[in-house]
Amino acid sequence: MSMVDVLNGNQAAAKGAALSRPDVVAAYPITPQTPLVEYLTQFVANGELEAFMSEVESEHSAMSVVTGASLAGSRTFTATSSQGLALMYEPYFRASTLRLPVVMAIVNREMISPQTVWGGPQDSMTLRDAGWIQIYVEDNQEILDMIIQAYKIGEDSRVLLPVNICYDGFYLSHLTERVEIPDQNSVDKFLPDYTPTHIKLDPKIPMAVDPLTTGDLLMEYREKHMVAQQNALKVIQEVNEDFNKVFGRNHHGLLEKYRCDDADVILISLGSMTGAAREAVDYHREKGLAVGLLKIRSLRPFPQEEVSEVLAGRQAIGVVDRNVSFGWNTGILYQEIRSALYEKEKPVPILPFIGGLGGEDLRIEAFISCIDRLKEARGTQQKNYPRTCWLNKKGG
Amino acid sequence: MKVADYLNQCEEIISPGISACVGCNVELTLRTIMRVLGKNTIFAVPPGCMGGVGVVGWNKQSGAKAPVFFPLLDNTASMLSGIKAHYLREGREVNVVAFAGDGATVDAGFQCLSGAAERGDNIIYICYDNEGYMNTGYQRSGSTSKGSWTSTTPVSTTGKGGKKQHKKNFPMLMAMHDIPYVATISPAYIDDMVKKVQHAMTVKDGLAYLHILNPCLTGWGVDPKRSIEVSRLSVQTRYFPLFEVINGEYRLNREIKKPKPLEEFLKLNKKFSHLNEEEIADLQANVDRNWGRLVALCS
Amino acid sequence: MSEKEYIVPIGEGVYEINTGDWRTHRPVLDQDKCIKCGICLTYCPVFSIYKEGEEYRIDLSYCKGCGVCMHECPKDAIRMIEEGR
Repeated sequence: MSMVDVLNGNQAAAKGAALSRPDVVAAYPITPQTPLVEYLTQFVANGELEAFMSEVESEHSAMSVVTGASLAGSRTFTATSSQGLALMYEPYFRASTLRLPVVMAIVNREMISPQTVWGGPQDSMTLRDAGWIQIYVEDNQEILDMIIQAYKIGEDSRVLLPVNICYDGFYLSHLTERVEIPDQNSVDKFLPDYTPTHIKLDPKIPMAVDPLTTGDLLMEYREKHMVAQQNALKVIQEVNEDFNKVFGRNHHGLLEKYRCDDADVILISLGSMTGAAREAVDYHREKGLAVGLLKIRSLRPFPQEEVSEVLAGRQAIGVVDRNVSFGWNTGILYQEIRSALYEKEKPVPILPFIGGLGGEDLRIEAFISCIDRLKEARGTQQKNYPRTCWLNKKGG
Repeated sequence: MKVADYLNQCEEIISPGISACVGCNVELTLRTIMRVLGKNTIFAVPPGCMGGVGVVGWNKQSGAKAPVFFPLLDNTASMLSGIKAHYLREGREVNVVAFAGDGATVDAGFQCLSGAAERGDNIIYICYDNEGYMNTGYQRSGSTSKGSWTSTTPVSTTGKGGKKQHKKNFPMLMAMHDIPYVATISPAYIDDMVKKVQHAMTVKDGLAYLHILNPCLTGWGVDPKRSIEVSRLSVQTRYFPLFEVINGEYRLNREIKKPKPLEEFLKLNKKFSHLNEEEIADLQANVDRNWGRLVALCS
Repeated sequence: MSEKEYIVPIGEGVYEINTGDWRTHRPVLDQDKCIKCGICLTYCPVFSIYKEGEEYRIDLSYCKGCGVCMHECPKDAIRMIEEGR
């Protein structure tokens, strides 16, 4: 029997991880993830989580310990944010190229400098090309559910890749919501044991891991990895449906559409900002504008076909990024969306918006003003590359 | 049983053909240690000489009969901690071993080795100290001795140069972590090496650390056939004391009551050939200081 | 060379380099001078020296010709002779 509780995002993540029965967990604190590892160590102390807990001395070691354990055949879990993620980049890249289905929660936090501890997905989005699956969630229920789903996605034999479940620091990690907690038996049935067949460090089946490899063979491995990411597009949706059947909650797989069917203009969001964006869409709908909202969940693999299908035939599109892509003068998600729409027959205005960095709130008013601009842009032709609109306190 | 007879009947774990330099005593050390450890071993070889010569293999082949892998240069101890955690949970006894150069141990990988030692992770960490990053062309490391020529501490045409700082006393640093076992090993003393590896295998309650001084024939400029002679002199001059620390008790394995003068060791290595009397005296003073400290801890 | 398909970089089987090809000199052991101390076996870096029954023998397959065995032998029972002679 599942139970209902009031949990903050970190508690939800810790609960999701504990229910998935990892064998080895590495814990290193960093704001705003710290309570997550504290809850995990408390679960271990109480006997609720029966795992080998390693309180490592840095995030670099957190990912290293977890990679080592996964190579030996364990199911593993760890979590981090911004600076910690940056520090563990070296072994992080390797976890995916060794095809180890590690699950890591990233409590999204802005990157230093300037000095900051507050929320924003710059940290994980900057590392989107390191080969991990990255799913961005909107609320605390999704955090708990997706960590369980992450193991099922990553350990699928068509995928065999590590998965990041990313949620906004402070907005989700520290705020409480009603969360339904599935019971351990149901999760056990949903998640079979992890038994690797593709790679294992074990004296019973001796092998070398990572012999020195020449370029031609390396390219083969990269190709197979990329194919696995494409397979994940299907697996993410399958697991979402399976989860829905068992636990009665649908998190919509690769992306979520809100009032898009008859929309002339569409605003695109990612993460917890979606809550405010929905309100703005309702506001404009009441005023008579046919506007819809598209929430991207899976950044990697990027659902290119699904995105271009939803956005086909619209009159204007806007992307709200809570991050920057230095050198492009726009946000990161903007570039991804624009790239997905390349094959469209006629060019449609696609507008970039950036706001809410370093923990700044992204208010409903900001989204309302984004949609105002989309309204104006309908039917216009873009002769030049569009200029990014910065959403600051002055209304944007 | 004589050590030669013992080693003769052990199974060879490493590929018979690896491209280590002619006479390399790291190759000797690795083969000997793996014969003692046996097949029930998972070992990590970070980037460095032994990885470069093919111990982890090429393309789709391994370089050893036991499971082996490349950790990153700076995370050997952490990856091994994770692997050991898995086998502890399974209840299986497996030797989990690092065979790492001084670059990966004393410099880049020190943080995670220190962390693993403090946490009591049950791994055997073996450092082959050839005093530098030899695989990439003999650059200096924190374990390079003072005065050594290296490619990043070169000697001028007028004979001035070499590393400016004394080497880290790394075995002592590890002993200060109060781990169950620390030992120094020389390839010239194989009986001693075998005994120490066997002892390390019995440690179950924490990290066992073994530090080996391997004179690098190519990088230090040693005549290959004198590989063992130079190693023996490193011990006989007290430059590299052979000692053990078993659960906090310090013990000298070779007392060296009448040490040979340091010059006998130095003159067999081209990397020291530019040193003047003052610099040699400085090295001798450092040797004496370290020896004095060690003897004080042993009493 | 393994032709198995892997999805991830692993290696099976043992890769050997023909290091016996490297040497310019090879060791020759004089059994009459040999006192069976075993020193040459313990110090050979490629473990080319082995004991069969009571006799010590040298397998030249991977011997790189370093000369350590000759230098360490207490009875000068090993000499290095130039290859090709």
